[in-house]
Amino acid sequence: MEKILFEQVPELFEAVGALFVEKKEELCEMDAKLGDGDLGLTMSKGYAALPDLMRAEAEGAAGDIGKMLMKAGMKMSSLVPSTMGFLMSTGVMEGGKALKGRCELDGAALAAYLKGFAAGIRKRGKCEAGQRTIYDAILPASQAAEAAAADPAVSLETVIRAALEAAQKGVEATRDMVPVFGKAAVHAEKSKGVADQGAVAGYYKILGLSNYILNS
Amino acid sequence: MKKIINAPETYVEDMLKGIYAAHGDQVKYAGGDLRCYCRADKKPGKVAIITGGGTGHLPLFLGYVGDGLIDGCGVGGVFQSPSPEQIYNIAKEVEAGAGVLYLYGNYTGDIMTFDMATDLCDMDDIECRSIVGADDVNSHANPDTRRGVAGIYFMFKAAGAKADQGGDLDAVLAAAQLAKDNTRTVGFALTPCIIPEVGHPNFELKENEMAMGMGIHGEPGVWNGPLKTSREIAEESLDTLLKDMPVAPDGEVALLINGLGATSVEELYILSNDVTELLKSRGIGIYRTIVGEYATSMEMAGASISVCRLNEELKGYLDYPVNTPFICQK
Repeated sequence: MEKILFEQVPELFEAVGALFVEKKEELCEMDAKLGDGDLGLTMSKGYAALPDLMRAEAEGAAGDIGKMLMKAGMKMSSLVPSTMGFLMSTGVMEGGKALKGRCELDGAALAAYLKGFAAGIRKRGKCEAGQRTIYDAILPASQAAEAAAADPAVSLETVIRAALEAAQKGVEATRDMVPVFGKAAVHAEKSKGVADQGAVAGYYKILGLSNYILNS
Repeated sequence: MKKIINAPETYVEDMLKGIYAAHGDQVKYAGGDLRCYCRADKKPGKVAIITGGGTGHLPLFLGYVGDGLIDGCGVGGVFQSPSPEQIYNIAKEVEAGAGVLYLYGNYTGDIMTFDMATDLCDMDDIECRSIVGADDVNSHANPDTRRGVAGIYFMFKAAGAKADQGGDLDAVLAAAQLAKDNTRTVGFALTPCIIPEVGHPNFELKENEMAMGMGIHGEPGVWNGPLKTSREIAEESLDTLLKDMPVAPDGEVALLINGLGATSVEELYILSNDVTELLKSRGIGIYRTIVGEYATSMEMAGASISVCRLNEELKGYLDYPVNTPFICQK
């Protein structure tokens, strides 16, 4: 697909929501070992609701994708008021900020969204790369997308493929990282060799986007 | 679980309805949301102070909303954060032209909530600053990582007085910071509490055991072991407190002996007596002693001891009268 139009953006995030509903149990099980055990619930509840939150804001946003994402992201935070919920909603809001005034998404705009999303997670989570979090999947994804978008005519497919590959590598790299946050930090030895569940969730977010872009 | 409720799911809303029904002359809620708790009146030109946090700690947090203290409170589920949108809606309601100070406990979810609310307020050009209470000495060696517990009382008191006296946002923040820098708390639990929607205790302690340093949500402390006497608990707690925040032998402090919910006021005064005698034996003067429930953990038994090291400025804030449905000082 060449570009994603304003009215198609909720469908893009519907693909993310569908993937998280499918991965709900898997994420909860991973999280139960090293976290609160509710990661799958947060991700599926938040992203499954996001498309309708966007549609509810569509009229007020008047064709501005950025505005729609910012407003919908704020509403999403009320639905999933937890650490991961706030990280996701801030990501969506900051990603939206980067798209302010745009009425359609091309490859470069997708890269801008991912860059904003990553910046939002870093800001809200006060985290850096290498601390074994979702950021370790999202940051490389956004960087790879940005590098691909150095070519202004880059396609959506090329950008999302680059992001997806980098996110997957990012997840693998978390196996050797020492946790800094949450319950995982208390039981650091248990996390050795295991991929961070937050990073896996970050990868699924990118995978959900790619499912829409590559399959429709 | 033995609780006077209708259903676990309606615990927070039923409680809030009761509070509004009893104290409708002093408090109200914003935007049709019971969880957006605000004082009923508004003083133009005053810095608005907003707090928030989980339910289960009354009178913390909403009990501090009223004259001479703070202006609004986001009410979360039991031990859960309120949402950013709720804080934002409270800010829009209570903001009176002089900006907003967010003053709350040092917990990840709450920090994110208030940071997001700050972003939302930015869009409306409402100026916000934040400060967190982080007084629980045993929760971490690093003061920035500590949890916020009962010592936040002194921050509410200082910031509330300064705001009521007409201080600007910087001055109100500085007052809260002054109280924060001079306050430390040590807490301990004897029995756990039950989150209504969970239905069973959040940790286990044997009949004869106590947990030193336990947090107000049941976070593990520094040791679990045989229950000590009030005197022994006071000694260990004061050693921890004064090692972390030395008080000069001729110095003066305010003392807050706080019950966690199921400990009798009688016991609190027994503990208060021991702490008082030990402070005196160290030559430390006590300017004011406050005994009662100020930050609870539902029906958890146990207590906390907070010490606020005073100067003339802080004494002034402590003396300032307050009046809320939960806390009154003439």
